[in-house]
Amino acid sequence: MVDLGVATVTLEMVAESQMGLKAIGAALAVGLTGIGAGLAEMSIGSAAVGATAENKDIFGMALLLTVIPETIVIFGLVVSLLILF
Amino acid sequence: MSVVIGGPAPYVYVCTRMRVRKSKLLPREEYLRMLNMSLPQITRLIEEMEYKKEIDELASSFDGIDLVEEAISWNLAKEFQAILAITPGILKQFTKSYLRRWDIQNVLTIIRGKKQGMTAGKIKEVVVPAGSLDVLFLDRMIAEESAERSIEMLKNLPLYSVIEREYSGAVETGSFGRLENELYRQFYADLIEEARSGLKGGNQFLKSIQLDIDIRNIKTIFRLRGQPVSVEETADVWIPGASFSVDELKRISQVETIDELVDTLRKKVKSPAIVDALEGLREEKPIHEVENSLTRAQLDYMDRLSKRNPFSIYPILVYLEKKKYEVTNLRALARGKQANLPAERIEKYLVI
Repeated sequence: MVDLGVATVTLEMVAESQMGLKAIGAALAVGLTGIGAGLAEMSIGSAAVGATAENKDIFGMALLLTVIPETIVIFGLVVSLLILF
Repeated sequence: MSVVIGGPAPYVYVCTRMRVRKSKLLPREEYLRMLNMSLPQITRLIEEMEYKKEIDELASSFDGIDLVEEAISWNLAKEFQAILAITPGILKQFTKSYLRRWDIQNVLTIIRGKKQGMTAGKIKEVVVPAGSLDVLFLDRMIAEESAERSIEMLKNLPLYSVIEREYSGAVETGSFGRLENELYRQFYADLIEEARSGLKGGNQFLKSIQLDIDIRNIKTIFRLRGQPVSVEETADVWIPGASFSVDELKRISQVETIDELVDTLRKKVKSPAIVDALEGLREEKPIHEVENSLTRAQLDYMDRLSKRNPFSIYPILVYLEKKKYEVTNLRALARGKQANLPAERIEKYLVI
């Protein structure tokens, strides 16, 4: 016989676990986009450093191009904030 | 073999630098402008470009045409050594092997110079230390008393076995042609072996070597056309390992009409750029124009390959080749101007 009293889930417990899952979702949204942006910036960054080493005038443009993938992280951050609040 | 740590980033870095450097090379319009200038004007213009440092350094020791020639040779050597210093891992190995052709050129220059009794200073002027043998080593080679002693210094290098085998014959006949051919044959055989040894990116390296061999062989075929030489005499000028075998090349070199020759070559050559260049050779032209159009086709094709594989050995090789031809062009321009040749005549010798 199963003891039904043990399997009882209270409303508080449901609310807490929902919060936990939301936190995991928010963490994944920021974490994974961070990794994505990092990977994207790896190649752009090394190309930018290479190009700047040869021609210093393009430093500003190279920097701008390097940080463009940062937008992915901003999307992730917005999504995580929407999840949490 | 060194392995690159950190993923593709070092490759991207180097290939981007090569692309930027390539974009800084002289454009066609600049050559055309230089064709209408006098030698001092050309020297001044070169001084305003990438060659400033070398011109300033050498201005106290040389003047006129010698200054231009020395400065551009030094710049080439420095540039190639700098590239070797920044290339990572396997690309460095390939680049180093590719630059060994300069070692062959330098060693032959020294041997020839010594045999003809040239002074050490004169030999030093024509040596371009762009390969794996650095200035100090070459200086020591030049400073040796005899050619034999200089050759002894090469003992640990791959060149040595061929030089040792062919040198006595070359001295007997008084011609270093055969020695030179054998050195290049071994050089290309070594490159092919290295490219096929299973290293990452080896296939791309192999493709560019085979293209180079094909172009060299085709140039030789056109050079030999109309020359009264037998098949036996030319047996050692062909380089195997690419689209044509030595036997095929011997047979093709005997073809009489130019149409038949172009058709036979077209059947074997795969790259469309070379096929187009061959089509343009159906009428008889002076040899330097034939060579020019083939070189241009080779550079165009390599350029295309470097765009298709942006982070490979191609961008480096394209830059090395284009830089080499920039230096050759500037030298031709300066020499032509000094000899008071008309601009149209000089233009035909430029690879632009």
